[in-house]
Amino acid sequence: MDSFDDYALTAAVFLPLAGAIAMLLVPRDAEGTHKLLALATSVATLGVGGYLLANFDYDRAGDMQFGIDKPWIEVINSRYIVGIDGISLPLLILSMAIVVLVILYSWTHFPEPHNPKAFLILILILEAGMNGTFVAQDLILFFVFFEVVLLPMYFMIGVWGGENRQYAAIKFFLFTLFGSALMILSFLALFFLVQEANGGEGTFAIPDLIRLASDNITRDTQLLIFGGMFMGFAIKVPMFPFHTWLPDAHTQAPTQGSVILAAILLKLGTYGFIRIAIPILPDAAVEWAPWIGGLAVIGIIYGALGCLAQSDMKRLIAFSSVAHMGYVMLGIATLTDFGLNAAVFGMVAHGLITGMLFFVAGSVKERFHTLELARLGGLLKQAPRMGWILGFCAMASLGLPGLAGFWGEFPAILAAYNPAEGLSEELFRGYMVVAAIGTVFAAGYLLWMLQRAAFGEPKAEWDAVRISDMHWNEYAAWVPLLVFIVVLGVYPNLIFGLTDDAVRTAVSALGR
Amino acid sequence: MLHLLAQAEPFRSPTVDFHAFAPEIVLSVSIVVVLLVDLVFDERGKWATSSIAGIGLLAALVPVLTLAVDGADRSLFDGAYVVDNFALVMKALFLLSGYVTILISARYIAEGDYYEGEYYFMLLCSLLGMLVMGSARDLISIFVALELLSIPAYLLAGWRKRDLRGNEASLKYYLLGVFAAAVMLYGMSLIFGVTGSTILTEIGAALDGGEAPAPIVVVGILFIVIGFAFKVSAVPFHTWAPDTYEGAPTPITAYLSVASKAAGFVALLQLVFIGFLGRSDVWGPLFWVLAAITMTVGNLIALRQTNIVRMLAYSSVAQAGFMLAPFAVAGDIDVDRGGPLAAIPPVVTYLLIYAAMNLGAFAVVMVVARKTRSGELSSYGGLFEYAPGLAVLMTVFIFALAGIPPLGGWLAKFVVFRALLDAGTPAAIVLAVIAAVNSVISLFYYASVAREMWMRPVPDGDRAPIRIPASLGSALALAAAFTLLFGVSNVATRFGDLAIFGFLP
Amino acid sequence: MSEFLRAYLTVAVFGLAAGLLVAAMLGLGKLVQPSRPSRQKRINYESGVDPVGAGFGQSQVRYYIFALLFVMFDVEAVFIFPWAIGLESFGVFGLIEMAIFIVILALGLVYAWRKGVLRWA
Repeated sequence: MDSFDDYALTAAVFLPLAGAIAMLLVPRDAEGTHKLLALATSVATLGVGGYLLANFDYDRAGDMQFGIDKPWIEVINSRYIVGIDGISLPLLILSMAIVVLVILYSWTHFPEPHNPKAFLILILILEAGMNGTFVAQDLILFFVFFEVVLLPMYFMIGVWGGENRQYAAIKFFLFTLFGSALMILSFLALFFLVQEANGGEGTFAIPDLIRLASDNITRDTQLLIFGGMFMGFAIKVPMFPFHTWLPDAHTQAPTQGSVILAAILLKLGTYGFIRIAIPILPDAAVEWAPWIGGLAVIGIIYGALGCLAQSDMKRLIAFSSVAHMGYVMLGIATLTDFGLNAAVFGMVAHGLITGMLFFVAGSVKERFHTLELARLGGLLKQAPRMGWILGFCAMASLGLPGLAGFWGEFPAILAAYNPAEGLSEELFRGYMVVAAIGTVFAAGYLLWMLQRAAFGEPKAEWDAVRISDMHWNEYAAWVPLLVFIVVLGVYPNLIFGLTDDAVRTAVSALGR
Repeated sequence: MLHLLAQAEPFRSPTVDFHAFAPEIVLSVSIVVVLLVDLVFDERGKWATSSIAGIGLLAALVPVLTLAVDGADRSLFDGAYVVDNFALVMKALFLLSGYVTILISARYIAEGDYYEGEYYFMLLCSLLGMLVMGSARDLISIFVALELLSIPAYLLAGWRKRDLRGNEASLKYYLLGVFAAAVMLYGMSLIFGVTGSTILTEIGAALDGGEAPAPIVVVGILFIVIGFAFKVSAVPFHTWAPDTYEGAPTPITAYLSVASKAAGFVALLQLVFIGFLGRSDVWGPLFWVLAAITMTVGNLIALRQTNIVRMLAYSSVAQAGFMLAPFAVAGDIDVDRGGPLAAIPPVVTYLLIYAAMNLGAFAVVMVVARKTRSGELSSYGGLFEYAPGLAVLMTVFIFALAGIPPLGGWLAKFVVFRALLDAGTPAAIVLAVIAAVNSVISLFYYASVAREMWMRPVPDGDRAPIRIPASLGSALALAAAFTLLFGVSNVATRFGDLAIFGFLP
Repeated sequence: MSEFLRAYLTVAVFGLAAGLLVAAMLGLGKLVQPSRPSRQKRINYESGVDPVGAGFGQSQVRYYIFALLFVMFDVEAVFIFPWAIGLESFGVFGLIEMAIFIVILALGLVYAWRKGVLRWA
């Protein structure tokens, strides 16, 4: 082992798995041990993340760092290639941090049927899959990690979820799997079509494909391949009209599942666009961008209108996710470095804010055993601290300047004013107007939710119920998120500085 | 007659390469030992028969390994019997899956009211047939091997002789098996008639020349393929499989769905890629149709099953469809990408991975049935609550079968997809899309098992934990280890690539 | 038509001729024979003895096992006769081969004996 640098990313991916295996060996009754083991594992993983942050060469944020490249499945020439650049790093850290917070939150909040051992093991497997997806630089490796997250989430929703959990779980699973099937066909098509140019042997390595794909594949085929990837990623994001699994999954999932789903799993789709689809097939991306942008703004408006129609707080937040991911996708669709920067920032901001909102919703549900907005009200009187936090998150979510949400939405809208070369300016300016109207809707539904949940007098039915305010582990899990929402809002350059170079590399292919 | 004898050349005793035959010889000796122990010691020796059978299989693996280390391709009896890498890989697969079968049989047979010594005797005889099949490169050897592996299997399928469904299982399997053998034999006689040889390499050379009359060749190939389509339970020749699988003792079901199916595929690979190599215009479309309807029909019927053994039976029908897919496009693979022979590694890889995950699934079914005495899907309700280890293992096997990374099955499906896209013809791409749709459909019923185990309540409130006997435990451990190993490493594809024929026309 | 199929043509001609011959003989008989049916004449022919009991009779299962054993050894003998003719040329190799063959056969007999198949009672 010449230096830890070579193994840092591998450790980031496999430490959680090692922790999960260790927990498998501990008997189920030792709940304390399980919690400690899970927390220790996730903190150690975050420690690896800290190491990465400290040793990342910020002057070369556009290049792959900490890379290794080892043979894996030779027959299909798939290699174990990992590496991170300025786009992966913030998302990787976000994933590591959210898992720690989720485990902290879980400390006393295990949903029925309890069983911390299985629950925490699933979270750790999830983490391995998410971290792996963010560091993989080989399509097959990416695909495997992309799929690894499926099973734990399926079980998390299906076992620990709400009343309709089985339906939600299988719906989530099938939608994603359908997308994956098309995605893997696209990957295979790439493999074969660059075979000749790559000296007779196909390749799945993303850097090689970026170099070879666009020059060696006919335009029509590129469009088809992009279409396959689009289905895989768009379902995961989820974009309108593939979003229907999301409200069900979110509503039925346990709090922890919702948080991870909103904060990280959805990002796997958008990350796929930025990391794979656009750099490898830039020409096809230009053709597809107007459609993606169109679906994105439809998603913004549709999500907002969907929110206004909800009577359930968690479902409302779920629909707001559709709208927010619409901004991210709009940023991506502009194909400019400005838009992609906004998209990555939007991903991180949405992860922090919506994750936070689901945490609050989970705690509200735990206290009131309902999320019916009609029955809630007066949270500020019953649990003032939690009420204020809900208000704060709603403000952040609607894009109040000074908080993180602003820097995700506003630059995305701005980028649509001036899309990349080859895209219709009129069309994207139209999108811009629609997206801007979407922000008004967003303010509308979030404030409406806040008003109905937190303002006014508590309903009479709660008179006899003692509603406790924040617990210690809620503080522990939430404060870091709140701090980062403010920090990123005040000093967005923390992310922009990191992503800018990497994003320029990603869109550089477009100019050719 | 007499003048024929007079014409014959004087007899020269053939030189027999005993090393090449060592696996078969070792296995034959253990068969005799099992029989003798059972006969001599009677009741006192029953317990030992399973151990002897297991040890015999492992002992037979030793010469397979030494042959592999030696590495030279050996051809005996004018090419009728060949020991090459393909044969060795397949023999190792047969021996290992036979060993796992014995592991999962041991308690079941000992505790039930069954003949014990004869059971292992029959099982080993059937496995001997498979070992021969791995090397048989001659129509007659193939047929003899097929009968040697099938006849004991007919008996084993009906081992629960007091159970009416056991009788049905055996009878259906027997009648359809014999019918298939007859059809195949007719096809073989036609092929022999037009080529004048039973040796596959010579048949291959004769057929490739294109001088043989087309209609007879077509009918001959068609009949032979149909004969083996019964063996691998491809639709529409699958009708025996669900009834037989349900009625047979569960270890035998596992054995039939893994080892016996693999043997059928071995024979098909040998016949198609050596004997009929040049006539892909004949068998290509045939396999296309077989593959497409096998995976589709198998999956659709599996969706409706409420008994887990029947569900696994139909799932194994569907999986056979995936394995048939590379055959369908073999003729379209470019020569610079390996030509038709490039279709062999995906099939072998699939067989290896499938063996691990399917044997594992059946092992769990056996363990659970020890407690619930039922094969109904609903009896798996709440398994996760009272037997979390088993539930996790079953989840691993089930989702491996569904092809979810990083569990073994995805790689199997992946190499098949790769072969299909490698061919790249419109027909191949259509088949790839059919396969992709099917892998999504299959998820429905695989996930239903997971749903029962994880999300449903215990049906009768009986939460007593399940004790796992040591032999079953080691079978589970073996299967799980291989399922995971195959999913994250290149072991299976390595062996798939290694399995090449030593002698071609 | 190929040489291969032409060979079958001969078979077909023979078959046709055989069929015609049978038809001609039976038809001729039908034409010239007198026909006086009676009940006695319609009884099944069973070696000249009058049949007794129903047509569907059961016999002991032991008969079958004995018959099976008999057929097995009978058929194996068929392999041994030609071997015996050529023994001189086969030499030691042939001797060993046949010894293995007979030992395996004998194992089957030992099995049958141990299982009590050979006892009638």
